[in-house]
Amino acid sequence: MKKRILVVEDEEGLRLLYKEELEAEGYEVLTAQNGREAIQKLEEEPDLIILDIVMPVMDGMEALGRIVGRERKIPIILNTSYPGYRRDFMSWAADAYVTKSTDLGELKDKVRELLEKGKAL
Amino acid sequence: MKKVLAMILAGGRGERLYPLTKDRAKPAVPFGAIYRIIDFTLSNCLNSDVRRVLALTQYKSISLHRHIQLGWNILSAPLGEFIEVIPAQQRIDEHWYQGTADAIFQNIYTLQQEKPDLVLILSGDHIYKMDYRKMIAFHLEKGADLTVAAIRMDRKLSKEFGVIEVDKDWQIIGFQEKPEEPKTIPGDSEGILASMGIYAFNTEILVRRLIEDARSDSTHDFGRDIIPAMIGKDRIFAFDFRLGDPGGTGYWRDVGTIDGYFEANMDLISVIPQLNLYDPQWPILTHQSPHPPAKTVLAEEGRMGTALNSIISNGCIISGGSVKRSILSPKVMIHSYVEVEDSILMEGVDVGRYAKIRRTIIDKDVHIPQGMEIGYNLDEDAKRFTVTASGIVVVPKGMKL
Repeated sequence: MKKRILVVEDEEGLRLLYKEELEAEGYEVLTAQNGREAIQKLEEEPDLIILDIVMPVMDGMEALGRIVGRERKIPIILNTSYPGYRRDFMSWAADAYVTKSTDLGELKDKVRELLEKGKAL
Repeated sequence: MKKVLAMILAGGRGERLYPLTKDRAKPAVPFGAIYRIIDFTLSNCLNSDVRRVLALTQYKSISLHRHIQLGWNILSAPLGEFIEVIPAQQRIDEHWYQGTADAIFQNIYTLQQEKPDLVLILSGDHIYKMDYRKMIAFHLEKGADLTVAAIRMDRKLSKEFGVIEVDKDWQIIGFQEKPEEPKTIPGDSEGILASMGIYAFNTEILVRRLIEDARSDSTHDFGRDIIPAMIGKDRIFAFDFRLGDPGGTGYWRDVGTIDGYFEANMDLISVIPQLNLYDPQWPILTHQSPHPPAKTVLAEEGRMGTALNSIISNGCIISGGSVKRSILSPKVMIHSYVEVEDSILMEGVDVGRYAKIRRTIIDKDVHIPQGMEIGYNLDEDAKRFTVTASGIVVVPKGMKL
């Protein structure tokens, strides 16, 4: 079965880039434009979430808290170019942190690592 | 000085105190004629110079809200001091708090805003006096991540408590939740160290452990989950309650049951109570509406307004009736030829002529009709009221009789 990844990103260009690149890696990709949409998409039971922080409607930090309160074990990667987020206590709930880049090498490594870890449990 | 934030868990349902908790959470249950149970913890905070205080509520919190708003709006906001009630906002999730740790986790945004160095987690359910400064000093001296206050209890009571195991430096090396076979205190095989549900945490460690706990299968409880997970990983110590007990009597009550509640109240009318409410060094504050002073009237043969071995609050009138070994909250009216013995009458209770009340707790605003007897025939009483195993009758708040 294909692993299902939810990408939460408000910029359309980036969203499409992530979707294409991750699909090419063999994943099924769901997308959401903001935190609120991300929470609605939890019903489709993603195996991992890639979460931007600065987004309209509901930002990533608030979404992170709500997701963790509901789906306690789903791995979450915070993907951001905003450097101050570590001051936010809730950011500590994420499983990994990746700085935004058009080179998705690091992100793909983290995705693979976390999904492997999830299988081991 | 370290910045300390106290978070009081004030959502206790107090199910075994029913019907006193029919319309209010346990911390809002009246105690000692004019107090609410939470007043003792709030007074401890003030007397310990802890002036940033949050009370986290959930069930039936209106009564508690009102009380804190009216009675405890006494600190200085410009100095950064506050006593605030935070209802369960369901900010992170839609459910009620799942456990004590979840209650703090759900308020992580508040911690974020305050950014204290230390978080003092307290229970609003207990009656005791404690100088939290002593515990904080101990915590800092030990370089601890977490310090848990502990009180010696008889080992027979182990099933009611979280039992702490310590080494010779009081570092915690084991924790059993309500064990049948408890670890006893070294050199004291009849004693156990019971957790008082009082925790001093370094904020960063608290947040990290809360998040780890939130993301795992857990009951989200400090005693059951967080502390056991910290043993062997973090520096956690037990603090001996006797070192922080200003009265030196070791008094600490959970008043979890009606019988326990009744006895703890009755202690207050003894000549030298275990709980001293008269210590000017450790005042217990509360909210009181302005009432006129208590009075006794009528001194005729067979119609004497008297109160003996009792606590009588402001606004009470004892008019030609007799009150013995009882506790009367404000605005209680005792009419002629009434006999009240070994009872607790809460605010606004009115006892009609010739009524006889014995070993009964009457909650607020109950009007006892003329000639009614309560506490004399427990089988009859049990048809209408709660009667405990030891024979205490409870008449719920506002009951129409």
